[in-house]
Amino acid sequence: MNKKVLAWPILVWLTLFLTVPLCFVVAVSFIQRSAYGQLIYRFTIQNYLRLIEPLYIQIFIDTLLMAILTTIITFILGYPLAYTITKMNKHLQNIWLVLVMIPFWINSLIRSYAWVIILRSQGLINTLLLSWGIIDQPLALLYNSSSVLLGMVYTQLPFMVLPIYVSLEQLDRRLLEASSDLGATPWKTFWHITLPLTLPGIAAGSILVFISALGMFVVPDIVGGAKSALIGNLIQNQFLSARNWPFGSALSIVLSVFSLILILLYYRVLKVQQTKEVKP
Amino acid sequence: MKIKNLFVLLIVLSLTTSVIFGCGQKAASPKQPTGERILNIFSWADNFSPQVIADFEKKYNVKVNYDVYASNEELLAKIQAGGAQYDLVQPSDYMVATMIKLNLLEKLDKTKIPNLKNIVSTFQTPAFDPGSQYSIVYTWGITGIAYNTKYIKDKPSSWQDLWKPQYKNRLVLLNDSREILGMALRKNGFSNSSRNHGELEIAFKDLKKLVPNLLAFDTDTIKQKFIAEEAWIGTVWSGDAAFILKDNKNIAFTIPKEGTTVWADTLAIPKGAKHKELAQLFINYLLDPKVSVKNYEEIGYSNPNEKAYPLHSTEYRNNPIINLSKEQINKGEWLKDVGNTLEVYDRYWTELKTGK
Repeated sequence: MNKKVLAWPILVWLTLFLTVPLCFVVAVSFIQRSAYGQLIYRFTIQNYLRLIEPLYIQIFIDTLLMAILTTIITFILGYPLAYTITKMNKHLQNIWLVLVMIPFWINSLIRSYAWVIILRSQGLINTLLLSWGIIDQPLALLYNSSSVLLGMVYTQLPFMVLPIYVSLEQLDRRLLEASSDLGATPWKTFWHITLPLTLPGIAAGSILVFISALGMFVVPDIVGGAKSALIGNLIQNQFLSARNWPFGSALSIVLSVFSLILILLYYRVLKVQQTKEVKP
Repeated sequence: MKIKNLFVLLIVLSLTTSVIFGCGQKAASPKQPTGERILNIFSWADNFSPQVIADFEKKYNVKVNYDVYASNEELLAKIQAGGAQYDLVQPSDYMVATMIKLNLLEKLDKTKIPNLKNIVSTFQTPAFDPGSQYSIVYTWGITGIAYNTKYIKDKPSSWQDLWKPQYKNRLVLLNDSREILGMALRKNGFSNSSRNHGELEIAFKDLKKLVPNLLAFDTDTIKQKFIAEEAWIGTVWSGDAAFILKDNKNIAFTIPKEGTTVWADTLAIPKGAKHKELAQLFINYLLDPKVSVKNYEEIGYSNPNEKAYPLHSTEYRNNPIINLSKEQINKGEWLKDVGNTLEVYDRYWTELKTGK
């Protein structure tokens, strides 16, 4: 009973600020608009039909590739980092975890502009390399897909590190000891014990990174020079520049449904795993 | 902590941060402190001297909030979504016409703006606002090519020069659909406000060939890209070119032979504005000759205030980018409202921005 009362505020909050707006988005995605962008309340599925034009399919594929790459790179960087952190003493662990979290406290817009200052022609890296005589022409480090990828990995890294850290923390040390007692090399122990047991953390991190990378638009806009369109930029462009809210809404719905399916899959897999663990 | 709980926590965290990302480009919503009046401005980046705003705040005990947009289309989108939170906006010429048509602007009470008489007669009754009931010309200029003479030795004479392969990754274009499509239309000998679908297709196909040269689409920070020499060449508004020149002496500005877009930014009040009186007070303040000298010397744009001309520094008065010649102005064409063809513009712009 008490618990239910406690849940009320958050339920009201979610209804007002998530469910209701989402219903509006769904509704708008099925109506028409005038040339000047005013909504015309007449039913159409044209906004969804437009999505299957090759141009938009291509953007969707590009976005997927970018999100997959971001996920893989954050995993390659994030797993060793999380692993190293768990090997430290408690005090150092806390310091490192805070260091991983600190970027969250700064607005991502500012962090993106910071990358511009570091990477541009007269930026930090180019100035240093030029003054050391390593290069004689500034390198084009900005406004291409590599710089977008760099910006994405940078923003998403904490989402990968934290879940992996937690799953490594929870690892039963006795299993590792048993493995080495039975003569397994550290590498074998890692491959057969540590990695499989931290899979839930890896899966959680990957889904988090993947989903937020899918909807990203600030990084491609600033670090990518507003010319590499990912689905997030396309949506932003429909709402602001093109003033085509119905089409923008249809794009948003497709993106949300896609993300939702991924999250549901994750819970399905997690459930299967947990039931496996229960019956030995 | 259970992994599932952490997962939920991080999802919430990522959702809230994305909400914050989303709001990043908007400023915090205006608040009303006690005893102080609020003026909410929605305008282009760097369009007022910060000192002039500070002086106004002090003189009249007002708090000015200054939010920015990057294109006329963005302004229209946000005003259509509920513009009553703003008291003063700065649509350009063709957008004034569109906003009047959509009934999005308040009629100005000219008795409250006596300094209006200071504006030069040629801008008293502009074509986009017949009778000038809704808008006042704030600044004007022309779109041309800015280029860095350190890297570009032969002076560009035509829009065609932007397509030269040696400018690969050094070209910056305004992040503005009407400006850029208008430029390509002019390059191909058409009106910058063409309603002819065939002409628009030619312009669009031409622009697609320009994409390999493109460093970035940018309006807000295009000045910084030229100052830091990331961009060597690009489409730039004359006022911005004058601003860049103050910080980087290698920049030159030229008007291509095919002609270009001439424009004016205005001062206007959105329908239902909560502080209309205050907005008119601010407009009148800006039109004071002494204030306007201070303002335009800093922002680098052309001043339509006739009474202010003799007060300007010789440096400002002799700057050819600010004081454009008759011949240059005559190469300019005003953008016009294109009616239903706007949909075609929007669509081509979307396709162009995907870079495919």
